[in-house]
Amino acid sequence: MFFHIILERNLQLHPRYFGPHLRDKLVSKLIHDVEGTCSGRHGFVVAVTAVENIGKGLIRDGTGYVTFPVKYQCVVFRPFKGEILESVVTMVNKMGFFAEAGPVQIFVSNHLIPDDMAFQAGDVPCYETSDGSVRIQKDSEVRLKIVGTRVDATEIFCIGTIKDDFLGLTGDPGGAA
Amino acid sequence: MASTGGEEEDASELKLGEDFLKAKCLMNAEVALILEKKFETLQQLSEDASSQFSQVFEKSLQYVKRFSRYQNPEAVKQVREVLSRNQLAEFEVCVIGNLCPETVEEAKALVPSIAKKDRMDDEQIEQMLADLATIKKYE
Repeated sequence: MFFHIILERNLQLHPRYFGPHLRDKLVSKLIHDVEGTCSGRHGFVVAVTAVENIGKGLIRDGTGYVTFPVKYQCVVFRPFKGEILESVVTMVNKMGFFAEAGPVQIFVSNHLIPDDMAFQAGDVPCYETSDGSVRIQKDSEVRLKIVGTRVDATEIFCIGTIKDDFLGLTGDPGGAA
Repeated sequence: MASTGGEEEDASELKLGEDFLKAKCLMNAEVALILEKKFETLQQLSEDASSQFSQVFEKSLQYVKRFSRYQNPEAVKQVREVLSRNQLAEFEVCVIGNLCPETVEEAKALVPSIAKKDRMDDEQIEQMLADLATIKKYE
């Protein structure tokens, strides 16, 4: 799920930037530093939307750098266990399939795919029901439930399931759901 | 497997951890509006804008564009009004707004917390889904 939250960060700035454009410099440094990063606590920082407040700078002993506490609003994407969301399939193999929901990667193991769907190898590997009515392949749109998350230093990785009511295929490759 | 932010986290019971409990949730359609606006402003500022966007930004923009149920900003506002009227939590509002369940059964399966503690009976849920369908139809 996407959230709009307020975060705080201390920015260190070299004294050469002190001047009329100090604030602009701080804002662009903030955007450069935080956009695209990921932490286990707050998820992926997608975009900074506003800077709320820039506090008083504090000169660091010895270096001359100044630390500014900056409060900013941003859009983050944070997956939660138990959350249901839509995703796009990126890779299918006999172990299961990978899907993407925005910045996050989700793996659905073949144990968490309904039993009536079987893996079909070939040019376009897919999971298919025996009558061929449902087919999950690359670029399919799939609704899934997150059952677990793992946090890396720079990435959040999720495990999902489609073995439940109202989960599974929602759109075919290329087609709008 | 380490869980993010404590063991208790479970979206189906609205346990989101203290950082996100009071945070404002955004529907995909709302995120699309925000990101597209930012994308356009930055593109006007510099010619070489494409290199300024992080992969996270680009992937998110693609994702929300693909899965936005409502394109029109007015409709997005109305959806939020309808959902908020039913005293749903922010998170529930956004799950329903994103997934657009068609039946009461589906809504209860996707957002188990709405059926708990007699918060809403089936009729109320049905009325809410009907209101949403109307907005979508006349968007």
